[in-house]
Amino acid sequence: MPSFTTQLPNLQALGPVVDMRVWVGTAVENALKKAGASIPQPVPAKGMIDTGATSSVVQPALAKSLGLQPVGIVNISTPSSANVPCHQYLVRLVFPNSVVVETLAIEAPLQGQQVQCLIGRDVLAHGVLVYTGYINQFTLSF
Amino acid sequence: MPDQLSQELGTYEANIDALLGAHEGKFILIYQDRILGAFDNQMDAITRGYDELGNVPFLVKLVTKVDVPLSFVSNLLAV
Repeated sequence: MPSFTTQLPNLQALGPVVDMRVWVGTAVENALKKAGASIPQPVPAKGMIDTGATSSVVQPALAKSLGLQPVGIVNISTPSSANVPCHQYLVRLVFPNSVVVETLAIEAPLQGQQVQCLIGRDVLAHGVLVYTGYINQFTLSF
Repeated sequence: MPDQLSQELGTYEANIDALLGAHEGKFILIYQDRILGAFDNQMDAITRGYDELGNVPFLVKLVTKVDVPLSFVSNLLAV
């Protein structure tokens, strides 16, 4: 069962943040190979597991650095906004121990945050998250 | 509204009645003003889009009477 475990100095203060990479989706890689174009390298990012997020999220700069093009538009709602249209991108999220999950992530500013990516319930739908607060550790298994 | 895919979204809205009649609940692949197909599975539509069009913007959209927004309970997204 592919899994990774992250231990942090203060899980409560920092949140379940993991050093990860964001990469183009498999179909994107195949399309680039077919066109004879170079395949971008995965981009390092700090991701936070967010059980309150319906979908995973990436910052615009991440999508741009990977040369990703949007393949969808969805409306999103947050406590301070309603029905905001956001692009969707096909990405692979690469976690420690080479755990890879492919998903459609939406693009949003994540401005002023320490993370460049949110890992939402679209990813969690495939796995088991164990959050052990008293030892500042969490594990995500698939 | 993001600039990219605005044409594709316009194509979807212009054909919504026909799409609801024939493909409600399916995922439609749209490129510019062309509707390229209807699929039961979102990933099948996306894969077909990349296979036929390459790494360009295209729209895969669920045909539905009401678009339910995705919810995020925090303000982390900054939208």
